[in-house]
Amino acid sequence: MKDIFVLIEHRRGEMRDVSVEMLCGAGKLGGTVVAVLLGKDVDAFADKAAGYADKVLYVNDAMFENYNSELYQKALSALIKEHGPGLVLMGNTAQGVDLAPALAVELGAPLVTDVTAVEMDGDKPKPTRTFYGGKLDAHLAMKDADLYILTIREATFQAEDPSKSGEIVKVDNPVSEDVAYRKFVEYVEPEVGDVDITQSTLLVGVGRGIREDKNMPVVEELAQAIGADLAASRAVVDAGWLPSDRQVGISGKTVKPKLYLAVGISGAFQHVTGMKGSEVIVAINKDPDAPIFGIADYGIVDDLFKVVPKLVEKIKELKGA
Amino acid sequence: MNMVVCVKRVPDTSESEVHIDASGKDIDKSRLSFGINECDNYAVEEAIQIKERLEGNVTVISLGGKDSDEVIRMALAKGGDDAIRLEDDAFAGGDALAVAKALAGAVKGLEYDIVFTGALTDDDGYAAVPVALAELLGVPHATYVKKVEILEPGKKAKVGRELEGGLMEFLEIDMPCVLGIQTGINEPRYASFKGIKQAAKKEIAVKSAADLGLDAADIGEAGSWAVLEQFTPPVVGEMAEILEGEPDETAAKLAGILKEKGLV
Amino acid sequence: MCAEELDFVEKYDLLGCIQCGRCTGGCPVALRTDLRVRCFMYDTQNEERLEEISEKPEIWDCTTCYTCAARCPKGLEPLEVLIGLRSLQIEEGKVQPTVRDALESIFKDGNPWGSPRAKRLDWASDLDVKVLEPEAEETTDVLLFICCTDCYDPRVMKVAQALIKVLNAAGVDYGLIGEDESCCGSEVRRLGEEGLFEMCDEENVELLNSFNVNRIVAISPHCYNTLKKEYHGLKVPVLHYTELVAELLEEGKLEIPKEIAKVVTYHDPCFLGKQNDIYDEPRYIITRIPGVEFKEFDRCRERSLCCEGGGGKMWVESESKEERLAEIRIEDAKEMGAQVVAVACPFCLLTLEDATKVKGVEEEMQVMDILELLAEAL
Repeated sequence: MKDIFVLIEHRRGEMRDVSVEMLCGAGKLGGTVVAVLLGKDVDAFADKAAGYADKVLYVNDAMFENYNSELYQKALSALIKEHGPGLVLMGNTAQGVDLAPALAVELGAPLVTDVTAVEMDGDKPKPTRTFYGGKLDAHLAMKDADLYILTIREATFQAEDPSKSGEIVKVDNPVSEDVAYRKFVEYVEPEVGDVDITQSTLLVGVGRGIREDKNMPVVEELAQAIGADLAASRAVVDAGWLPSDRQVGISGKTVKPKLYLAVGISGAFQHVTGMKGSEVIVAINKDPDAPIFGIADYGIVDDLFKVVPKLVEKIKELKGA
Repeated sequence: MNMVVCVKRVPDTSESEVHIDASGKDIDKSRLSFGINECDNYAVEEAIQIKERLEGNVTVISLGGKDSDEVIRMALAKGGDDAIRLEDDAFAGGDALAVAKALAGAVKGLEYDIVFTGALTDDDGYAAVPVALAELLGVPHATYVKKVEILEPGKKAKVGRELEGGLMEFLEIDMPCVLGIQTGINEPRYASFKGIKQAAKKEIAVKSAADLGLDAADIGEAGSWAVLEQFTPPVVGEMAEILEGEPDETAAKLAGILKEKGLV
Repeated sequence: MCAEELDFVEKYDLLGCIQCGRCTGGCPVALRTDLRVRCFMYDTQNEERLEEISEKPEIWDCTTCYTCAARCPKGLEPLEVLIGLRSLQIEEGKVQPTVRDALESIFKDGNPWGSPRAKRLDWASDLDVKVLEPEAEETTDVLLFICCTDCYDPRVMKVAQALIKVLNAAGVDYGLIGEDESCCGSEVRRLGEEGLFEMCDEENVELLNSFNVNRIVAISPHCYNTLKKEYHGLKVPVLHYTELVAELLEEGKLEIPKEIAKVVTYHDPCFLGKQNDIYDEPRYIITRIPGVEFKEFDRCRERSLCCEGGGGKMWVESESKEERLAEIRIEDAKEMGAQVVAVACPFCLLTLEDATKVKGVEEEMQVMDILELLAEAL
């Protein structure tokens, strides 16, 4: 079986969890697991990756200090042509999605994005991914090719303890000149508001089910009664009903409070990723098929506008008692 | 500034149950309503706003049957100038690559500074079209874009990409380029019914695969990276303990549980 | 400029206005917002200023309750000028996101609540009801036109369910449209979306005329008003449910066995009272319920205070921080010792019930549709 390349993703001095997950997952697919690391002075990541990989290809160059899709593509394309892996895995992240399709087109390699499960049929992967916002699983057959690329959804594979000590091979940068048509400028942190929800012990998460800005007092009262802070799904932030620093999910914050009370949140993957580590999850949603009930500990299937005011009442009673 | 914006008509499944049809490869769409893909709606707005600021031309492109005229007209009503619809039986069953090839075929014949697409679609969610399209056109790209600032019209833009954790990555990008637009970048305007009707007077150029110079082997299932073998209902984890009763009762039960666990 | 703007003066007969100010004087929202409708009657005579005037946020404060028109000594309809100004904003696409979403949802799913058409009949899923077939040979007496709000709002749904209970008790031969039922467009027109309203008119008239029925009964006064007065070409008469139920009581087809020993008042919906002169039927029904002690609001019938639920206001939040009219209404009801505020409109139900919560009287005072009150006594 051919080698599997796993692209290590890192940003601002941190190696992202999905990289380790993919290395561990790749180990179970069979074949030699090769971690590919592009960066500037990130020896520590090379060492870390070596704990999970059979080999680490490490390109150390100032060019890779910050992610740039064009440079990454050039480097990866050259390394792939030289080493001939049969499969390349990347995280289905803002980086992976910005890079993989272009690389796949360039190399004529079939790509499936946002993969949630994968089996191997010899050198050919059989991926599963979701359609319709997680409402269906789609099982896909990839076209025959010498090389396949998959972007892997976070938490598809389990991270395990390091058990390997792969050889770290420092490779000369295959990219000779920088590109001018896409230049990194800066990172901008999300605006910091009055509350840091990553530090909150109790959170009330509000979703699309709240329907309108003017209904916000319904959940505000609940948060107040519990002594919780308000968090939100993407839809609520896009609508401007809560500031973006309250957003929980892949493109928002990751929170691990003692209680996450999800109100009118359906539980799209992108939101769930940010709150599934909460100790106790409670969901109130009128749709019994809402995916949120799949990860919640307790659920109420009912209209939030009927339940929440009652809940406020009951909590006040209990607190008063 | 010449801009192209790619839009897709998709079924709205956000509040509906999704049923797999008899083939196992599609869903029963008979009871679903359709509309513009959410990200694409923001892409249209972004293009129109830039046109209003800097003047220019916006061409709307959609791949789909006659039904797709509705979302095209909506984009025209908001300020789009021209429209192309790509229709051919050979496009059926295509994934992100096949769609990108068809779009590239249409875009190649146009003068453009920026091609806007949605970052991802509500149906298959591949999120691969903008980046694949850029590679096929041989131009730079950025996706998950949540901020666009035109530095020099026709030459250079500064764009903000939304990364994990709300972090924004700003970069400068040369035109022509392809930008995949994320929701929340702007506030899409309303297209009035009258505006849509007036837009119906504008011609929508319908092009087939042959018109675009595409071979049947390049598009549809044949031209895709992967084809759908079958749909299955998602595997759900252990379900929540559902509290039963009238709101009064469920609320009381929940309050009791929270109290018991020391959470209130 | 489109034709509508050019003949604004003519269309609304603005030169007929004598600037007497009775419109603003009677306007209920003038109590709590900056809206001064008389000024608009004057300012819009200058067509060059129309666009600028249409940008004023107070045009969205109007609830289209019709008081201004009812009181105009020259027979003008000042509220229509505000709707005309809204149209200019709609044409530009400049509307609040909530309004945009409601209108798009009507276009896409036939209801303003962003819910799928496939769930339109969920409110009746536990009920044994007949869904009418178009072009049926057999005539059904009554076609029920169920408001979108009754179909999708979990609170208001109970009113539609109560209607079924009442009609069953009276042995009425009725049927529902089912999933093909679409928004009547009353609020669409009042939000200034003329084009979409025309679509509602055309499509609904065609649909309604396809059924073999004697009459149409609307559950909401807003649907009733629109079907009856604003649609073109409906073949059968349109009634509000209070008219049908009063008829059933009068003809002895409906018996009310149980007693409800409560102090009940009635809030006149603008679209039923002021706009359609239906004042007596609701009162007749309520007072026929044994045990009910009926009390009138001081401001009742023609002088009834608007609840602020109409005119598209369900989707437009006013900037005013002054007390809502619905809250004033609830205070008045509390003062007279009412235990039940009866209504006959889904919007009144929602706005007044909200107000009982704001005022903290939801324990002692219920807001109920007449149908719910009646169903309780069956």
